[in-house]
Amino acid sequence: MSDGVTVTFVDPTGKAADKKRSAAIGSTFLEVAQAAGLELPATCGGRGQCRSCRIKVLDGDLPPPTIMDEVQLGHDEVHERFRLSCQTKVIADCRVMVAPPKTEVGHQFLMGTGGVEAAHRVGLDSGVEKRFIQAKTPDDEHHQTSDLEEVALALGLDAEVPVPLELLRELPGALRAQGGGLTVTSFNGEIIDIESGDTSGRKYGMAFDIGTTSIVGSLMDLETGAELASVGGINPQTVYGGDLMSRIAYAQFAPKKLQTLRAKVLNAVNGYAKQACAEAGVELRHVHKVVIVGNTCMHHIFLGIDPTYVGLAPYAPVVRGAVVAPGSDMLLKTLPRARVCLLPIVAGFVGADTMAAVLATRIYDSAETRCLVDIGTNGEVVMGSRDGLMACSAPAGPALEGAQIRHGMRGAIGAIEKVEIGEDVVCETIGGAPPIGICGSGLIDAVAKMLVAGVLDASGRLRTKAKASLPPALGGRLIESEGKESFVLAWAAEAGKDEDITLTQTDIRQLQLAKGAICSGVVTLQKVMGIADDEIKELMLCGGFGNYINIESAVRIRLLPELPLDKITYYGNAAALGAQMALLSETERARAEELARGMDHVSLASQPDFQDVFVEALKFQDQNARRDSVGDSKDVPVAAEG
Amino acid sequence: MAEPVLQIPEGWDGRVPDGWEWRTLWDAVETGDHIYADSRVKESIAAEIHPKVILDDGLFPGFNLQGDRFTEQIIFIPEMLITARAMKAGLKLIRPLLAAMAVKPLGTFVMGTVLGDMHDIGQSIVSIMLENAGFNVINLGTDVHPDKFIEAARREQADLIGFSALLSTTVYYQKVTIEEFVKAGLRDKVKILIGGAPTTQEWADDCGADGWGKDAVVAVRLARELVGQPREAWA
Repeated sequence: MSDGVTVTFVDPTGKAADKKRSAAIGSTFLEVAQAAGLELPATCGGRGQCRSCRIKVLDGDLPPPTIMDEVQLGHDEVHERFRLSCQTKVIADCRVMVAPPKTEVGHQFLMGTGGVEAAHRVGLDSGVEKRFIQAKTPDDEHHQTSDLEEVALALGLDAEVPVPLELLRELPGALRAQGGGLTVTSFNGEIIDIESGDTSGRKYGMAFDIGTTSIVGSLMDLETGAELASVGGINPQTVYGGDLMSRIAYAQFAPKKLQTLRAKVLNAVNGYAKQACAEAGVELRHVHKVVIVGNTCMHHIFLGIDPTYVGLAPYAPVVRGAVVAPGSDMLLKTLPRARVCLLPIVAGFVGADTMAAVLATRIYDSAETRCLVDIGTNGEVVMGSRDGLMACSAPAGPALEGAQIRHGMRGAIGAIEKVEIGEDVVCETIGGAPPIGICGSGLIDAVAKMLVAGVLDASGRLRTKAKASLPPALGGRLIESEGKESFVLAWAAEAGKDEDITLTQTDIRQLQLAKGAICSGVVTLQKVMGIADDEIKELMLCGGFGNYINIESAVRIRLLPELPLDKITYYGNAAALGAQMALLSETERARAEELARGMDHVSLASQPDFQDVFVEALKFQDQNARRDSVGDSKDVPVAAEG
Repeated sequence: MAEPVLQIPEGWDGRVPDGWEWRTLWDAVETGDHIYADSRVKESIAAEIHPKVILDDGLFPGFNLQGDRFTEQIIFIPEMLITARAMKAGLKLIRPLLAAMAVKPLGTFVMGTVLGDMHDIGQSIVSIMLENAGFNVINLGTDVHPDKFIEAARREQADLIGFSALLSTTVYYQKVTIEEFVKAGLRDKVKILIGGAPTTQEWADDCGADGWGKDAVVAVRLARELVGQPREAWA
């Protein structure tokens, strides 16, 4: 469009100069902002599903609100000239200000892992083959042939080959469109697409990690292994419950609600596929293979399989082996012809995501014992070596992601992510903004530093009684807030909202339950496998939020066992990485299948001494005791007999 | 939040020999010293103090103090468990004496975690505390089928039943199990309590329970109240 207008972006802090950008009428503000290099997150992928890309139109003609503006922002905000930039089209010269709501900005999703090649050179054997052929059109009425026979002939086959009915319907047109020039795409020998012209160089795939809380995906070139685009955002099912169990409970014995959840995730994946392809300039049709990983519940819901019994002991999944089907079978509308592969499952709570993490970390190939801890809304622990692997699930719940914590929040701008405590408390926030809450990593760090400072004791109790012995500024932070003993991390005056940012005694108890679950998962596998602390060569910490964890603090609160810090390595979002590996390589995908079959599952709850282990794991590190007695100072079991 | 304080039983010092000291036992139960609790209760029995007095004046003060702290979240599961263990050490010695004196339990309480749920800790804490409070507790363990609850209720002629559920997917079976009691014609013979992290008063009302044990201490208090309320007699 030639009739351009000028959009002026005003810096919200007033510090930077205005940014002017000419734009075509009809483009969205989000597109214009992104083209102008402004950081404007579209957490939902620009689908009007969140408020992260909110703007305020200061002056100039105001575009009418869309239905999504009304839904997301509400009538009042719309009236105050707020809009969703992803939904709103530029209609005239205007001045706008980027104004994302405080709690939604910049959720730092772990995506763009980008390191498949660097970290793990995988063979490029995606199973997708594209061949350009020159087929004849049938030309002899006497000796009848069919279009399909001509295709088969050109492929060097002597009879018709099975192809999906849908391709037959398109074949006469495709065959004749470019004089018989056709590209035939197959996956492991099975024809999945036939199109006219030569597109054999365009061979792409997508890998998705569907987590309970977030979804990340990447578009990859199957020929080169390069990552072309990465996309991601909040799992839109989150509104139906933050943790797995509440998600299952929502759909339990309720087929309609299952469909609601399924539609949410399908919409998201469809949206991300479109978004990634648009970003990379790739046609959706040329995405031929998709690998999806996720925990058992996400896996089942994605496939429209009832997860009810995954939520009830003995937590059996409906299917454990890999599932492979055309996208159309899975109602993946954007990629109907792509072969969609779901990695195998080990158990109800050790899902395809764990298998992907096993692939990515290569723990199965280790000569020495290693331990993989994947922390998410549900934690999983895998331990072992090339001689065998065992897995268990540790239901941590969402506290480690900042949920169910009074001032908890996701890892977004203004979230406290680091805490230092000396004479007083110093908080660091994401984006350096005034604190408005605390995210999971901040919670871990805060509690660890509170232990060291003597604000908290090893049992998890706030030491309100010892106030007098603390530096005055610290002691003054031990307050009672709404009937709960609390520790003030940031006073209202320095916070980005009108109240003190506190950690309450209840918050600390929630954290103890969460970290106790993870820690007892590790300890239990050690017990079952007979592995002492010093026999663990490496503890591999994975997870979408583990990125920001201060490992020393994690050990101090005993989220992780008390290993020397140099034995603990952070592996990032290993599940997403593993999905990418399985996308690029059928060898890797087959390996996942083989590993899943051979992996032993340990049910924590049915271990006879689990109660003792869990109760012990609830405690924090004792800052008074010397810590050189690593791991051998397990107290007497405290559980009551009987 | 007001820190709970030690409730000293009224008239306690008049019920023991001159110069007798209970405070050490209160401390032992509070801090979970089960070895001392055991030996001090033995000494008390040797000193011919009435078992009911040992229980009420010697063991309960420390236990109740910790129970209140647990409710206030000042202490947590580990500390509550070690206190329960010390309490149990003393109780073990006293219970046979009370039985010999024909002191009846407060009532019979059938306890378990519902079908599909393997969580044990919550219900075992409640069981220990109910026992300590003087109930005869029949603990059916975890993953208990409704039929098992019904069978145990019949066999024991139970006064109260408690269903624990720790998963949002298994609370459903609290409701189902209560419905089974209705179908079996036993609903009016027992009082039913539910509890567990995902439960609420609203849910307790919704599934037709007689009470919601927000935590172990509340559960014991409710049990004491409900056991006194009129019910249909067991045949």
